[in-house]
Amino acid sequence: MAAPEPPHLWPWRVGTIAVLAVAWVAATGSGLVPAVFLPSPADLWDSGVDLVTEGYKDRPLLDHIGFSLLRVFAGFGAGALLGTALGLLMGWRGWIDALFAPFIEFLRPLPQLAYLLLLIIWLGIGEAPKICLLFLAALPVAAVAARDGVRRADLTRLAAARTLGASEWQVFRHVVLPSALPDILIGARLALGIVYGTLIAAEIIAGSTGLGWMIVDAGRFLRSDRVFVGVLIIGLMGVALDRLLVLAEHRIVHWAGR
Amino acid sequence: MTHTISRRGALGGALGLGTLVLGRPHVARAAVKPPINIGYFVETKPTNIVKAQGLLEKATGQTVTWTEYGSGAEINAAIVAGGADIGFGSGSSPVAAAISQGLPVWLVGLVDNIGPAEELTVRSSAHIHSVADLKGRKVATPFGSTSHFRLLGLLKQNGLTQKDVTVIDLRGDAIVAAWSRGDIDGAYIWAPAKSKLLADGGSVFKTWDKLDAVGYVIADTIVARAGFAEQQPLAVTALLKVYGQALDFYRTQPDEAAKVVAKAAGVSPDVAAADLKEYDFISLADQLKPDWLGSQGKPGKFAEVLHHTAEFLVEQKSIKSAGPLATYQKAIHTEFLRQALA
Repeated sequence: MAAPEPPHLWPWRVGTIAVLAVAWVAATGSGLVPAVFLPSPADLWDSGVDLVTEGYKDRPLLDHIGFSLLRVFAGFGAGALLGTALGLLMGWRGWIDALFAPFIEFLRPLPQLAYLLLLIIWLGIGEAPKICLLFLAALPVAAVAARDGVRRADLTRLAAARTLGASEWQVFRHVVLPSALPDILIGARLALGIVYGTLIAAEIIAGSTGLGWMIVDAGRFLRSDRVFVGVLIIGLMGVALDRLLVLAEHRIVHWAGR
Repeated sequence: MTHTISRRGALGGALGLGTLVLGRPHVARAAVKPPINIGYFVETKPTNIVKAQGLLEKATGQTVTWTEYGSGAEINAAIVAGGADIGFGSGSSPVAAAISQGLPVWLVGLVDNIGPAEELTVRSSAHIHSVADLKGRKVATPFGSTSHFRLLGLLKQNGLTQKDVTVIDLRGDAIVAAWSRGDIDGAYIWAPAKSKLLADGGSVFKTWDKLDAVGYVIADTIVARAGFAEQQPLAVTALLKVYGQALDFYRTQPDEAAKVVAKAAGVSPDVAAADLKEYDFISLADQLKPDWLGSQGKPGKFAEVLHHTAEFLVEQKSIKSAGPLATYQKAIHTEFLRQALA
C-alpha cells in the first residue's frame, strides 16, 4: 500500500495535466494535426454533449455505462469471491493446491481473446459469455493472491495459537485470515484492473451495448472524437473504481504496512 | 568433414556477397524501389490470384508486402497511418466513410458488384416469409461492413428500426457459432459463413435486387493512399493491369483459377468455384462505363452510390457529415484504369 502523498506534490500533478492540455489545444488549434489523429477540445466537447443528449446507437450513454458496470461488477464480484475462497483453501491445504494449481496457472496468463469464440459456442451471445470472460480474468488473480497471503502467515504465530489449544477453524479464522487479508485486497485490486482491461474483449462478443463496444464501434468509422470521449469516460471510471477499493483497503486492513 | 567444408563455403560466399553489396552501394540502391504495401482480404476472389502468382512482383520488380486485414475500416486506419498503400477489395461503405472524413483515399478501381453474394440468410424453421416477420428476431452482421449497410437499409425501407429487430454485431466465424446454437434467426453475411448457414438449416431471403434498385448498391473496390498514387502512379497502374490479367485467367480458365483461389483461401476447389460464381467481377473496360466509374470529365454512377452510402452513414450517426456529390466524384481517379488499358 502506498504511503499518503505529501501535500506539496499536488502542483506537479496539476502541472503535467495543464501542460498536456495546452499542448493539445495548440496542436489541434493550429491545424497541424488532422482531426482523425487528434480531435480538438471543441470536437470532443460537441461529441460528449451529443453522446449525453442523444446517446449512442439507439441507447442513452448512461445505459452503456450501466451495462459495462454491471458486467464488471458481476464478473469481478464472482471471480474475486470464488477466487479468494479457492486461494485460501489452496494456501491452507497442500492437496487442494495440487488439485487446482495447474488450472489456475494455465488460466492466469491466457489471453482472453484466445478463447472468445469458444465462449460463444458454449454460452451463446447474451450476457453469459461476457460475464464469464470477466469472471475467468478475475478468478486466477484473486486465487493466487489469497494463496500467497495464507502462505505468508507467520509460522510462530500459527504454532503459538495451536499450542494455546486453538482448533483448526480458530487458527484459520483468527490467525491465517487476518494475515492474508492485505494480500487478498491487493489481489482484488489487481483483479479489478485486469477485469476492467478485459471489458473491451468481453463486449465485442455480439455487442450493441457497453462502453467497450462503443469505443470499438466508433473506431470502425475512425470516429476519433467518440473514441476519445469513450476512453476518457472508461479511464476516469477505472480510476474511481480503483480509488473505491483503496478506500476499502484502508478501512479493512488499517494495520497493514505498519 | 563435408559439413565443415560446406559451412566454410557458405560463409565465404556470404562474405563475398556482403562485400559486393557494400562495395557498390549506388548500384544496389538504384535497383531497389520502395516496397508496395498492399492490404487485402483472404477471400475467394481473383484478387487472391494476383497474390498467389506473384503477378505484381513480376510486373514491377518491386517488393510487395501483403498484409491481411479484417475489415475495410482497418485498411482505412492503416492508410491514414501510412502503413498501407493499397486497399485491395475494400467495401464501398468503409470507402464512402473514408472519403467523407477527408482521408487521403483515392478510389482507383473496382473488384466486384456484390449483388447476391451478400444476402440475408434466415433459419428455415423460423418461418420468416416477409420482412415484417423479422420483428422480435435477432439478426447478426459484422458492423461497419457492406452487409451491415444493406441490412439497415432493408429495415429502413420496410419502416422497421433496431428496436423492432435486434441487430447483433458478429464476425463471420462467430455468426456460424451463434447460428449452430440457435441464438440467431438470421444473418446478413457473405461466403464462407453464408454457405455454412445455408448448409445448416438456412435459406436465402432475397433482398438484394430491391435494395440495389433503390440505391443500396454495394461493391468492393481498389483504393490507394493519395500520397502513394501521386509518387508511384506506375505501381497503381501495374496493379490494375495484373488484376485485369487475373480476371482474364478466371474468365478463360475458371476451373484452373478456382484451384489457385482455393489454395490461397484455404477452401476446396469446389467451394471456391461456387463462391466465385456469386460475385459479378467487373472487367477493367466496363469499370470505365457510365454505370460504374465513368470516364474523365464524365463521372459515372458509382460516385452517387458512394454519396448515398455516406448520407446513410450520417443518418446512422456512424460518421459526422457527408460531402456533396462532387467530393465523391473527385475521389474517383480513373486515369490509372485508362493507363492500364492503354
